Amino acid sequence: MFAHWLFTATRSIGSFLARRVQALHERHRQLAGQHIRETRGIALLREWLSPEQRVQFDANRYFDVVGCCSGKRYRIRYGSAANVCEMDISGRPTVGLCFVPTGNLVAGDVMLAQKIALETNEGTALAVANRFPVQAT
Amino acid sequence: MATQIVMDQTGDTRHFFDVDDTEALSKAEKRFKELTLVGFTAAVRDACGDVRVTRSFDPTAEETLFFPRVAGG
Repeated sequence: MFAHWLFTATRSIGSFLARRVQALHERHRQLAGQHIRETRGIALLREWLSPEQRVQFDANRYFDVVGCCSGKRYRIRYGSAANVCEMDISGRPTVGLCFVPTGNLVAGDVMLAQKIALETNEGTALAVANRFPVQAT
Repeated sequence: MATQIVMDQTGDTRHFFDVDDTEALSKAEKRFKELTLVGFTAAVRDACGDVRVTRSFDPTAEETLFFPRVAGG
């Protein structure tokens, strides 16, 4: 009787542990995949930044772009939402802008799309952007 | 070797093709039209690194980047 109970209990624990290990393995695989996607996004972004923007991004995790129509300066910070600010001539943020490419992209891709949109089609980017207040730093 | 880079959930997908291969060039042009038709923006870079948006397939472009339309977040 006891032997049977012990056998059943051991099998249950073994099965439970196997499921836990499998779940942890799957989670690890997902995190590794996410890391690879993020890394690829940043690599693509760096390829398309101007040399000045690349230096700025590597140093600060943000870079500045100049709007093609207005000549205004915008700062794009690392992130995939609410990460763009319009800057005044003294370099202070005046308003936050939220516009992103559709499709649940990684941060590097989002930032690159924002850069190209502001540098080549500023009016459209501003037309769709939601604005939010920012604190001057 | 020219490249079309399409942003997607994997980071990006790259399609390489030989501009001297008419069949590959035709496939690249078809891909350009399909992507821009569904709202992707195509951007190309010149040798100086300046970026411009293009509305038509440029067979001389070394690298064309496609990103989905932007929307308010």
